[in-house]
Amino acid sequence: MARKVLGLAAAEQLSLLRIAILGLISVVAIGSRLYSVIRFESIIHEFDPWFNFRTTKYLVNNGFDSFWNWFDETAWYPLGRVVGGTVYPGIMVTSATIYNALHFLNIPVDIRNVCVFLAPVFSAFTAIATYHMGKEVKNATAGLLAAAFIGVAPGYISRGLRSSCSCSPSSCGCGRCGLGSALYAALTAVFYFYMVSAWGGYVFIINLIPLHVFALLAMGRYSNRLYVSYSTFYVLGTLASMQIPFVGFQPTRTSEHMAALGTFGLLQLVAFAHFARTLVPQHHFQVLLRGAVVSLFVVGLGGLWTGRFYSLWDTGYAKIHIPIIASVSEHQPTPWPNFFFDLNFLIWLLPAGIFFSFRELTDNHVFLILYSIFAAYFAGVMVRLILTLTPIRTYLNVKDVEAAGSEAEAVPVAKTEAVAGVPAAEQISVSKSGKKGKGKKSEKTEEPAKSEPAPSSKPATAPGDERWNEELVVMANFLYLLFMFQWHCSWVTSNAYSSPSVVLASRSPDGSQHIIDDFREAYYWLRQNTKPDAKVLSWWDYGYQLAGMADRTTLVDNNTWNNTHIATVGKILASDEDTAYELARRHDVDYVLVVFGGMLGYSGDDINKFLWMIRIAQGVYPDDVEENAFFTGRGQYSIGDDASPTMKRSLMHKLSYYRFSSVMGGQGMDRVRRQPLPTEVTVDNFEEAFTSENWMVRIYKVKDLDNLGRSHHKVADFVGRP
Amino acid sequence: MRFLTTFAACLCLGAFHVQAKSTAGDRVVVFVPKLDAASEYSQFLDSLGTRGFDVSFEGDRLYDHAIVLSPSSKKFGSGISVSDFLSFVDSGGNLIVAASHELSDIHRKLALQFGVTFEKRGSRVVDHTSHLAATVNQSDHSVVAAKQFAQVDAVLSKKVVGGKPVLFKGIAHAYDAANPLLVPLLTGARTTYSAASSAARSDVVLTGMSIGLVSAFQTRSNARVVFSGSADLFSNRLLGQKAAGNTQFVKEISQWAFQEKSVLRSTAHRHHFAATGETPEHYRVNNEIVYEVDLSVYYDDAWHPYVASDVQFEAIMLDPYIRATLNRTESNAAHATYHGDIKLPDRYGTFTFRVNYKRTGYSNVVVQDTVGIWPLRHDEYPRFLSAAYPYYVGSLTMVLGFLALSAAWLWNTEPKKAKSKTN
Repeated sequence: MARKVLGLAAAEQLSLLRIAILGLISVVAIGSRLYSVIRFESIIHEFDPWFNFRTTKYLVNNGFDSFWNWFDETAWYPLGRVVGGTVYPGIMVTSATIYNALHFLNIPVDIRNVCVFLAPVFSAFTAIATYHMGKEVKNATAGLLAAAFIGVAPGYISRGLRSSCSCSPSSCGCGRCGLGSALYAALTAVFYFYMVSAWGGYVFIINLIPLHVFALLAMGRYSNRLYVSYSTFYVLGTLASMQIPFVGFQPTRTSEHMAALGTFGLLQLVAFAHFARTLVPQHHFQVLLRGAVVSLFVVGLGGLWTGRFYSLWDTGYAKIHIPIIASVSEHQPTPWPNFFFDLNFLIWLLPAGIFFSFRELTDNHVFLILYSIFAAYFAGVMVRLILTLTPIRTYLNVKDVEAAGSEAEAVPVAKTEAVAGVPAAEQISVSKSGKKGKGKKSEKTEEPAKSEPAPSSKPATAPGDERWNEELVVMANFLYLLFMFQWHCSWVTSNAYSSPSVVLASRSPDGSQHIIDDFREAYYWLRQNTKPDAKVLSWWDYGYQLAGMADRTTLVDNNTWNNTHIATVGKILASDEDTAYELARRHDVDYVLVVFGGMLGYSGDDINKFLWMIRIAQGVYPDDVEENAFFTGRGQYSIGDDASPTMKRSLMHKLSYYRFSSVMGGQGMDRVRRQPLPTEVTVDNFEEAFTSENWMVRIYKVKDLDNLGRSHHKVADFVGRP
Repeated sequence: MRFLTTFAACLCLGAFHVQAKSTAGDRVVVFVPKLDAASEYSQFLDSLGTRGFDVSFEGDRLYDHAIVLSPSSKKFGSGISVSDFLSFVDSGGNLIVAASHELSDIHRKLALQFGVTFEKRGSRVVDHTSHLAATVNQSDHSVVAAKQFAQVDAVLSKKVVGGKPVLFKGIAHAYDAANPLLVPLLTGARTTYSAASSAARSDVVLTGMSIGLVSAFQTRSNARVVFSGSADLFSNRLLGQKAAGNTQFVKEISQWAFQEKSVLRSTAHRHHFAATGETPEHYRVNNEIVYEVDLSVYYDDAWHPYVASDVQFEAIMLDPYIRATLNRTESNAAHATYHGDIKLPDRYGTFTFRVNYKRTGYSNVVVQDTVGIWPLRHDEYPRFLSAAYPYYVGSLTMVLGFLALSAAWLWNTEPKKAKSKTN
């Protein structure tokens, strides 16, 4: 490739360069995920991973066998949770393996650090996997560019570790089609198994690959390679995935997996048909076949639909029918600015990428097109699925910048040598972008040069001076864009996705940082001051954290498997004090924890989530909880003295605002709702046990029944209220 | 506790008795209006003395039992308030409160907290058909001979219930019938009514059976309180009446109140596998287990085995999944053992094993453990299901067929030209 030799043969030089670049990309990918660790400390910052952390600890302490059969009595009290059977164990097993390996080497790493640093390290693997997929789709330089993109793309950073795992199988999945070898298909199945073991998002892959196969079949591109690879992959992958207890027999039962099964059956039919056709050559045969194929597939798709699946098609579905799904902010439709926020200029290069993919419609490109279309759709429907979109964006954008001819080879290589690190990766892309710009401007002229083996097309390019200038302009343009991309990604990562939800940081006017650590303060209070078997009731968002940090029994947590139980908790919080007291005692609740942001202006507090609690409770107990009763006569969601009587009577309102008005001097404002405070809030059945420094977390003890059989209101009347 | 005050008199009773007869302790404090007023109740108080009650001054709570015989006192010494009495009871102290038609506000407030509402000051219980003939004023029928005893064996023995009527001179109270902790021991007869003082307009509020004369209250923590509308009930004058059953009645209610009888307790309880007898950290669904609880009851100055046929065991997870009656299997001198062979439900979760034994007049016994019932381990499920035999056969034939086909394909070297479309 390169004309100059610097002590090494050209090919060696190039591969050395690639390895170096890939290494640097990995470093950047890891580095950009460490903002929160460096700024705050090495703890688990988000809600969900606390569960992974806790289960990993259990796995390390008790071994795999007891982990596999672990029934967690402290979650979902009193129902309990069959952790071994309801978990994707991949992440835990990976962390535990790393932990054990390190300890075997006498490196005494804390299990917490393994969990904290697992995600960044895996992001490096993601980058490498991405490189290979890029290489598969196009060539090595495209792979490097893709790796550089994915390494820093905020859409990927925001969703933690799971994303890392998702990349590998998809890359292999793509590679599979190209190679058509049973070995690679089997390898893909292994990666697929790993992904299934780590994340429920595997469903995306197991639908996408059959879709790809189906599309190829429908396009009449059936080949033995396709047959071998898909059959191998499906059989091995499905059998492997069924080893995960949580998946179990789902691949044979649920609608999400039907497409894969149907396609598998279809492929057999098609293969048989092809075989039959060699015996009985008939041209009508194919027409007939296609009709049968399409109708079969449609029938196969028309199976059972589950709620989560529906919400992918109709974004309003969840809100109406399944409030628990809708209540998760990650399940909301993505707002438009988010796309740009997460993907920057990748977003508008996507259509161009699809266009170029269409121009040379290889099997791999069909996969890319399908992937991008579906990922784009799903990302639009659910915020959390944006991460499925991210990798494909990067590929297609690489396609973009790759697509056109590649005449100016010499310049980029020289540049890559000159600049190191991430910029180096970008330099390569710049070269490609230069080409791409070319492609756009002079498609006609470049067409012959745009053949598959891009590197070899170099000799065809003997650029004239004008062309060189033109190229420079486009290149400068793209260079600028890529710089901006890097800049933007760093900024977004550092500001939007690295602020932990456990610790909050605020800046005082002089710029000094003020750490708000109320959550941990409260959790440690619970840990230190309550009985080890105390049951703490809170909204499910805080379940994993309570279990992880406070080590206390919770009623509901982020594993929202039992809607009724969650609705019961919602009902307790939404009903009046006496009903709530009775229900809480029935569930053996010792403490009630609410998160209140009125003092600080923390908008993610329970009063703001309250409407969801009401809706979820109403879904199960329509006779007892009525959403409309919580609004004022004018339909406002008010919390002050003008709030509706039901609102003022509700436990959540009482526990949030108890004593708050007096602390604020009688005329304070709720800084989240920007409303005046309710003046008279009494709590008789519950006793304030703890309120954190900034009032973010308030913990109440559920009083025992009165020794003399009086109601607590009477007791309070007698004893007097503070 | 500040019961040793200037106004309240503390009597040291029978200091020479060393043996405690009550399960709760043997220190009594008595409130009387004046020290010499104690002589009015000497017979009753002496009887306590012979039952072994003593006074001592250690501990958080200076006394185990308190008797209030000063119905007209406006306060109890300096600063003993109603809430002091409540916390005395909350901490396990037993209390007898005797009132009269001139009871003060503090008694009323105290009684109100226990669901006992005394009539207005000055009103008396009157019964024109069943009363003690008055010596002075023939029309005074306010010493009522009451015999509407509650059928609560744990408090009142047959001797009282079937015996002579109890003479009662004092004020009526309304009792909260819905309160399970409160048991009226002695109520008015049909002809009994509560009348305002003769001077005032006769203002009948409570009549007949709804009149509470003496009521017993047992708190959730098993402290016992007795309210009597009559202090005279305990007085020498009425105890001395040969025609009345006051002596026995007073003895029994004070025995009950001071935890000398009908005190129930569980000395031990255990649960374990039926087969091996060991107690695991958690059970698994459908385990066969044994549950046992030892119960003893205190009376006649000693613990005895408690004999009943209605002791029940419950396994609860929100709702009771199992409710089984336990059988008495063995009794020794101190306790009776109740035994149940339980098959755990086919449901996993965190269960509460509970014996919740609450019977009127007896102390509450609640014995509970939180026990996890886990699902089967992955290797504890049956290996082969008969329902799945067709599938086993199917897989097996598939495997064999595949092997046969592979073998045929691998070793079948045909000399002729192959069709070779299989590749």
